[in-house]
Amino acid sequence: MNHHARSRDLATQRHLALNRRQFLRGLGACLALPVFESALTPMLRAAPAATPATGGLAVTPSGAPLRMAYVYIPNGVHQKNWWPTGEGADFTLSPTLQPLAPVQGSLQVLGGLDHKCADPGNDGAGDHARANATFLTGARARKTDSADIAVGVSVDQIAAQQVGHLTRFPSLELSCDGVRKSGRCDSGYSCAYQYNISWASASTPVAPESNPRLVFERLFGAGAPGERQANFRLRQDTQRSLLDLVLDDAHSLEGRLDRSDKQKLDEYLTGVREIEQRIQRTESFGSLPDPHAETPPEGIPADYGAHMDIMFDLLVMAFQTDSTRISTLLLAGDGTNRPFPQIGIPEGHHYCSHHKTKAELMDKIAQIDLYYMQHFARFLKKMEETKDVDGRTLLQNSMIVYGSGCADGNRHTHSNLPVILAGSGGGALTPGRFVTHGSQPMSNLFLTLNDRMGVKGVTRLGDSSGRLANV
Amino acid sequence: MRNAVNAPLQCPSAVGAKQFVGGLSDVVGRWRVDFFAVLANLAAPQPGRRRLLFAMASFRSSFAGHSGYLHRGAFIRLGLAAAGALGGVQSLAADSAAAAKFHRTIEPLLTKYCYDCHGNGLNKGKVSFDEFASDAELLARRDLWLAVLKNVRAGLMPPKEDGDEALRPTEGEVRLLADWIKYDAFGIDPANPDPGHVTARRLNRVEYRNTIRDLMGTEFNAEAEFPPDDTGNGFDNMGEVLTISPLHLEKYLAAAEAIVDRAVPKVGRVMREVSVTGRDFRNEPGGETGNAGGGGGGGGRGGVLSVKRAATVTRKFSVERDDTYKISVELEARGSFDFDPNRCQLICRTDGRELFSELVEWSEKKAISRAVDVEWTAGDHVVSFEVVPMEPVPTPTKPERRIPTDLPVADGAEKAKAAGEEVAAVVAGAADDKAVPGAAPAGAAALVVPRRPPPAQASRLDVAIVSVKLSGPRAKEFWIAPDNHARFFPDGPAPENAAARDAYAAKVLRQFATRAFRRPVDEKKVTQLVQVARSIYTRPDKTFEEGIGRAMMAVLASPRFLFRIEEPEPVAAEAAYAPVDEYSLASRLSYFLWSTMPDEELFDLAQQGQLRKELAAQVQRMLKDPKASQGLVRNFTGQWLQARDIEFVPINARAVLGINTRGQNDNAPRVDFDGPLRKFMRSETEMYFEHVLRDDRSVIELIDSDYTFLNARLATHYGVPNVTGDQLRLVKLPADSPRGGILTQGTFLAVTSNPTRTSPVKRGLFVLENILGTPTPPPPPNVPDLEESKKEIAGREPKLSEVLALHRANALCSSCHQRMDPLGLAFENFNAMGSWRDEEAKQPIDPAGKLITGENFKNVRELKHVLVTERRLDFYRCLTEKMLMYALGRGLDYRDTVAVDTIVDRLVREDGRMSALMTGVIESVPFQKQHAQPSSAVTAISPTQATVAKIESKP
Repeated sequence: MNHHARSRDLATQRHLALNRRQFLRGLGACLALPVFESALTPMLRAAPAATPATGGLAVTPSGAPLRMAYVYIPNGVHQKNWWPTGEGADFTLSPTLQPLAPVQGSLQVLGGLDHKCADPGNDGAGDHARANATFLTGARARKTDSADIAVGVSVDQIAAQQVGHLTRFPSLELSCDGVRKSGRCDSGYSCAYQYNISWASASTPVAPESNPRLVFERLFGAGAPGERQANFRLRQDTQRSLLDLVLDDAHSLEGRLDRSDKQKLDEYLTGVREIEQRIQRTESFGSLPDPHAETPPEGIPADYGAHMDIMFDLLVMAFQTDSTRISTLLLAGDGTNRPFPQIGIPEGHHYCSHHKTKAELMDKIAQIDLYYMQHFARFLKKMEETKDVDGRTLLQNSMIVYGSGCADGNRHTHSNLPVILAGSGGGALTPGRFVTHGSQPMSNLFLTLNDRMGVKGVTRLGDSSGRLANV
Repeated sequence: MRNAVNAPLQCPSAVGAKQFVGGLSDVVGRWRVDFFAVLANLAAPQPGRRRLLFAMASFRSSFAGHSGYLHRGAFIRLGLAAAGALGGVQSLAADSAAAAKFHRTIEPLLTKYCYDCHGNGLNKGKVSFDEFASDAELLARRDLWLAVLKNVRAGLMPPKEDGDEALRPTEGEVRLLADWIKYDAFGIDPANPDPGHVTARRLNRVEYRNTIRDLMGTEFNAEAEFPPDDTGNGFDNMGEVLTISPLHLEKYLAAAEAIVDRAVPKVGRVMREVSVTGRDFRNEPGGETGNAGGGGGGGGRGGVLSVKRAATVTRKFSVERDDTYKISVELEARGSFDFDPNRCQLICRTDGRELFSELVEWSEKKAISRAVDVEWTAGDHVVSFEVVPMEPVPTPTKPERRIPTDLPVADGAEKAKAAGEEVAAVVAGAADDKAVPGAAPAGAAALVVPRRPPPAQASRLDVAIVSVKLSGPRAKEFWIAPDNHARFFPDGPAPENAAARDAYAAKVLRQFATRAFRRPVDEKKVTQLVQVARSIYTRPDKTFEEGIGRAMMAVLASPRFLFRIEEPEPVAAEAAYAPVDEYSLASRLSYFLWSTMPDEELFDLAQQGQLRKELAAQVQRMLKDPKASQGLVRNFTGQWLQARDIEFVPINARAVLGINTRGQNDNAPRVDFDGPLRKFMRSETEMYFEHVLRDDRSVIELIDSDYTFLNARLATHYGVPNVTGDQLRLVKLPADSPRGGILTQGTFLAVTSNPTRTSPVKRGLFVLENILGTPTPPPPPNVPDLEESKKEIAGREPKLSEVLALHRANALCSSCHQRMDPLGLAFENFNAMGSWRDEEAKQPIDPAGKLITGENFKNVRELKHVLVTERRLDFYRCLTEKMLMYALGRGLDYRDTVAVDTIVDRLVREDGRMSALMTGVIESVPFQKQHAQPSSAVTAISPTQATVAKIESKP
């Protein structure tokens, strides 16, 4: 009956609804618990510089870990249904933002943030690729189909370079968009721009993981709860025994490579070093955290909503166990034409987003925006229900940005982007407000959030013109 | 540079210009976007609009201020990917000769055919040929000349107008221009062209999976385990785009471990094992048939036995020696979802003697494992299973008591549902942890007939013989090498002597690393690998094989395995280019044709330096190999024609057919665009391409033919009569069939559609991009709405073709849509699922049209004919470019024009035969050669002693 579900089954693996429910039940149990001892230890060690006034590097003034996450929604939003009315603390949620009502006091809606580098400029069409590539980099993507890909280092990776050593994973990149269209992507831009929001260097995207089970096993080890620790150790021992050899192998190639080959080799070497460091960090942090949850079932859930929920839940777990303090989650690459039959929309998202002021399509695009928002709101509620080490909530000790590099998908605009900043940042932010910032680079927000994370020495990011005040 | 001043000002029609001046304010307002519409293809032809643009040009100064949009940099970035990069080594003398030739022979041509729009102060699409600041600038504009070459040869420039044949360049003039561009402007030396540079390619997921299969003899699902590969130029094997992030590396390490764990034996000798399934058991002659239906009917197979009927199944085993053997039996009780009261005793015997007996009672699924030792003499022995039915267990308590009898009617449904869930919960509990999405309805159904036991057929209980394994003889001297041992350990188990073991380790690892790296490995690397292995196998609790396995993991995680790193043949020091060495050539061939590593034959030839000599025969052999179907055929068609996407492209069958998706219209015909149908479509395209490839037919048949590959389901979907059966096979089409060729296959027709309707624009663009090789530039921002156009048709829902016609009437859109729409609309008789239809929006469909290059066609059959006759060269060139990109793993640029032309010429000479294309690509300079590297003589940097020591000391 549901054609779409069927067709997606073809591309992904079949999935048992029950297993997923079990998994989610397991998570519920997990979330009821406070942060675990094992997670606490490294965190407290990492926080010697904390002072009540400012906190330290990725630490709140109360000594808890400070987390930062970026969640991407594709194709912009239906403007009319997005923007709240009123301003400051006295604002009324719009139809699309309704699901956020229970956590309205824990977030701010930001207006007046722009990504000018996603505008066409001299590059012509390709707004979706640019929206995606610019979102966290604030930089202009070089228009190229394969040679010399370049955009900029993304805010999360800049932060991870300084904060990453505090946790087992410097950062965690997630995606709910695991199936790639073949053929070419948007208007002469390589697909790399459209499926990645995290960039470790201007030319190296950080591939996101979209398979829930693999994310889980990466974070907490494979196997039954009692075996994970041992499995993880065994794997780490094995990997360590290989690293020197492959490193040497890579170095031995360096002498005879051309420039573009060297860049590939550099990517490889960076990966090896990062794994080396992670192994060391894991050892210094003692035993592996136990999330008290079932391993998610194989495969990617056929239902998109369920997929989003699982990925959000994994993000909660990663933060709760202090496995990382920085994450990005690409819900779908910009330009996606995913249909939403589960809410009665057989047409694709991209198709609907070009609604051409047709009432029916405007209604559908608003429904899709609402659908995304419901899942995000569910995530925020979990974050708020989860107690952190300092007795506050996980949400209070986080800075979560939700938004798109497209403002109005119908007209491909990139000014006055839809942006929500959830969480109190451990007291560094003033939530519960709707604030319009005139017209400023979104990159200014990134600089400000990195400041709050305790990241030092970053004077510019993408097209930033300064720090964003009044957050 | 000569200035436009001397040239006679060519004013096509002053009156015409005046006519358009009235509309100019409108035009200027749109200029900004029009600019984007015409960029990159030297202004798409717009018959009849030249005058308008002439008039516009006189306003040039007034909008020159919009510099943000008129910036030349934007132009430079367009064209083929690397065209912006300057080649740089042309000598001054060559430059001045090229410029002189330009002024002597090319400029007059441009003056004659192009200055109407691109000279004398006119610069339509920001292109003018008489405003270069210097000869150097003229020659540096390779992007421009590449666009000129493409557009002139494709007949897009000068634009076609009726009755203007006299105004078009002759074939000779086109060749003159093309030669000047290739050999002078681009400075290509036909005797020694630049092969370009292929960035070291990381194995993509498909290649990784195949390589592991061939190297290790095990399947690894890279698509599920690794993140998706990014693509460029429409293909996922582009070196520059295949980046590697820490996540990749982590995955590669984990994969190396998992693969070795699965593929490499951990011991040198194991007990012999024979494993059979239940299907290998036979019903005892004369015995009742014991089959419950799952095991193959009454033909005597005994895989699944019903507990209700007495039966005996047997299987004979032969052993060569008197010894102890172990018999391991895996059984499974398989019950229906509903409880079944039947049960049986299952007795297992050898040679009539009971080994064990098992009571089998209802369970939805219950595994039973038993293992028993037997003393057997050499010779035949029989293992049997006998089902002895028993009295059914007493009927369990019925759920009647849960049925509420006093419910008010209105409330009944609700409460009954609640009760149903209770029942379901009980059942589900009994069913252990089996998935229960269907449980609630099942419970509810039980409520409808609560007082009767379920009918006999509804429930069942079988016992399946999953496997029977015989291990032995137990005595060690009779043990054998485990599976896959000989693949990695050519001399059998390791010797006992320590030195001999190390020597053996070196031999094993040298062989393995050589295969894995696809070229010889140096002894330093072998030594390092042996050290890793020794650090494991010298431990008392570890075997030699486990040590080797650890070193193999390092090989699989090495950049030499994960990347294809190529080396040139040694050449004279001053040579700029060199042939790729034979190992590189072997890999280029095998990854191109098979998407996997070279096989032994290729590798051996490379080792002997004989591969180039045997090239033609090897290509023949490789194309015949089934690996070509899984490699080139599947991956090239999957991406060139996007046939891969058919399996998940969102198409809503009901919406396509206009059936209301919201209403509960049970009378609506059942429509499916389901998995099997989609797979058949993909197979059709693959088999079709493969047929043309293997039979060395003309590539023309890819577009136009009188056959395709169908089975009953697909034929029904297409409306082709008289095809039966499930197997897709070659079907000769009826004489009047519109089908035949990739453009009338479900793959192309569906992947270019939106979820609810066709998209003529996407289809047209697809043909331009992938068949004709003349893509339009992307649409400008702020396109006027299709919907706005729609408003102009009052009173009824317009056809898509009518909406597009209005859209095309808009000057801003026409330049590109005139090219795309006629192509796309020709396919309107095929809906978004590829089925035939005669009308759209209740209006008859008119597929007739005219290409921008002037050819008329009445329907899709005629269009296909036009494509393979008048536009044949465009198709040859487009297909050549796609194939060459796929083969090289890089985009093409101006340096490759001669290589492409050489292959196209060959296709022309050899009637478009597939072999001309394949051999042409393989023999091309970019495929055969690379830049000579002065540093290539340097051998690998030796590892420091410290590193070696560190490795040695690791556990």
